[in-house]
Amino acid sequence: MEALWNSMSAYNAATWPFQLAFMAAASVLTLILLFRPCTWAKVAMKVYMVAVSLWIAFVYYMKFGSGREYSFVLTIFWCMMAAAWVYDLVTHFSSFSKSGKYRPWGIVMLMLPLCYPLISLARGLEFPCMTTPVIPSAVALYMLGVLMTFNSRINFFALIFIFHWSVIAVSKIMIFNIPEDLLLVVSCLPAMFIFSREAALSFGGPCKPPAQTISALIFVVMALIGACMLVQYV
Amino acid sequence: MEQRNVVEIADFIARYLSYMLGAGVHTSRVVRNSKRIGDALGVDVSIHTSQKTATLTVKDREASLKDTRVLDVPVFPISFEWNADLSALSWAAYDRKMTLDEVRAKFDELVSKPKMNPVFVLFMASLANASFCRLFGGDIWAMLVTFGATMIGFFTRQHLTRRHVNHYLVIVISAFVASLCASTALTLGLASAEIALATSVLYLVPGVPLINGVIDITDGHIQIGISRLVNALMLIICIAIGMSGTLMLVKDSLL
Repeated sequence: MEALWNSMSAYNAATWPFQLAFMAAASVLTLILLFRPCTWAKVAMKVYMVAVSLWIAFVYYMKFGSGREYSFVLTIFWCMMAAAWVYDLVTHFSSFSKSGKYRPWGIVMLMLPLCYPLISLARGLEFPCMTTPVIPSAVALYMLGVLMTFNSRINFFALIFIFHWSVIAVSKIMIFNIPEDLLLVVSCLPAMFIFSREAALSFGGPCKPPAQTISALIFVVMALIGACMLVQYV
Repeated sequence: MEQRNVVEIADFIARYLSYMLGAGVHTSRVVRNSKRIGDALGVDVSIHTSQKTATLTVKDREASLKDTRVLDVPVFPISFEWNADLSALSWAAYDRKMTLDEVRAKFDELVSKPKMNPVFVLFMASLANASFCRLFGGDIWAMLVTFGATMIGFFTRQHLTRRHVNHYLVIVISAFVASLCASTALTLGLASAEIALATSVLYLVPGVPLINGVIDITDGHIQIGISRLVNALMLIICIAIGMSGTLMLVKDSLL
């Protein structure tokens, strides 16, 4: 646990200007996509996703987290996340077009990474030994917020990676004492339900079992996962 | 019976057996069912099968009219439903003395049933793998990690298969991705992290070709039995290659 907090302190102390730059870029791109959506902004957002994933992989884990056991595994994992966005960039899969359905919730999720440092401060932590919006779970939460806000066609690869990351994150809540990660878990399970259900419903042509059964199954699975996490947490 | 009738029956039986072989039914059942339909329609049926093609001869019992053809075996997803339904169709044709038109209509109805929703399959496969993890002694975290890793690996497989990427390459990549995601359990210091790693690729194990290969050999269909076992072995080697990639990256050894 100490190794994690030491690496996070070193990371924050050394990279806070870059973190501010990442946050500024994310804010500008999000606002453009919200109010003046255009093709270059959609491409720029995907490039940003690739860049921030690689930042987490190489700077957070490879450079500052190298003292932690198996940190290179997480470097590879975040490289795969970056690869999912590169694939999206090449195939133009996500449209990043606005959809009114879950937009308000998406906007709330976009703001949640900003709560990470606030929760840390409320817990009595001080800079640099605290969480920031440019740590892995906060970045995953931001990605989830983007998917939720602009969800007419989403990058399902990235969604599953984020879901997997939330499983890792919830175990960190207990093992490394980072309750901030609860935000990711609480957001991820409903998002996974919504997007999986929509993916199931959008399957072309007749299929089985009926859509209601699939929705029920996905709901039960997500509820079970949530219950397992809760039981372990309590 | 006229030659035209024999050709029509041969047309139907060719289609019937290609669907059964393509859906992963073992050879002796395919041969038995095809012969049973032939019996019901008043013809003798002889079949030779191999991995990718089959040879079929339909012979009229009275006039000695024959029709022989070589057909390609199409590749379908493994379907236990087709296996059961088409076997039941052969019995129905035999017991109820159905005409060729009736059998054909029923066959068309059975094979045009709706497909499984891929998202449903994705969730069920992930749940199955998480259950395997539990059976092998994994704790709740290992199960959750296995669930997520399987989901990523299985989705990768579905996606690449839709894009017609080489089947063996798909298996290598899926095994690599799933096991790499499962290896994130190692970062949590879980006691059962290695169980998660090992069980994350179980969804790729070619169980049906392995079982069919053994059944075919024991039933005397040695050639296709060996073909199926070799095919299964190739898939297992592909899984091993994918998983070895992860192990070499993560643990710097294969053990």
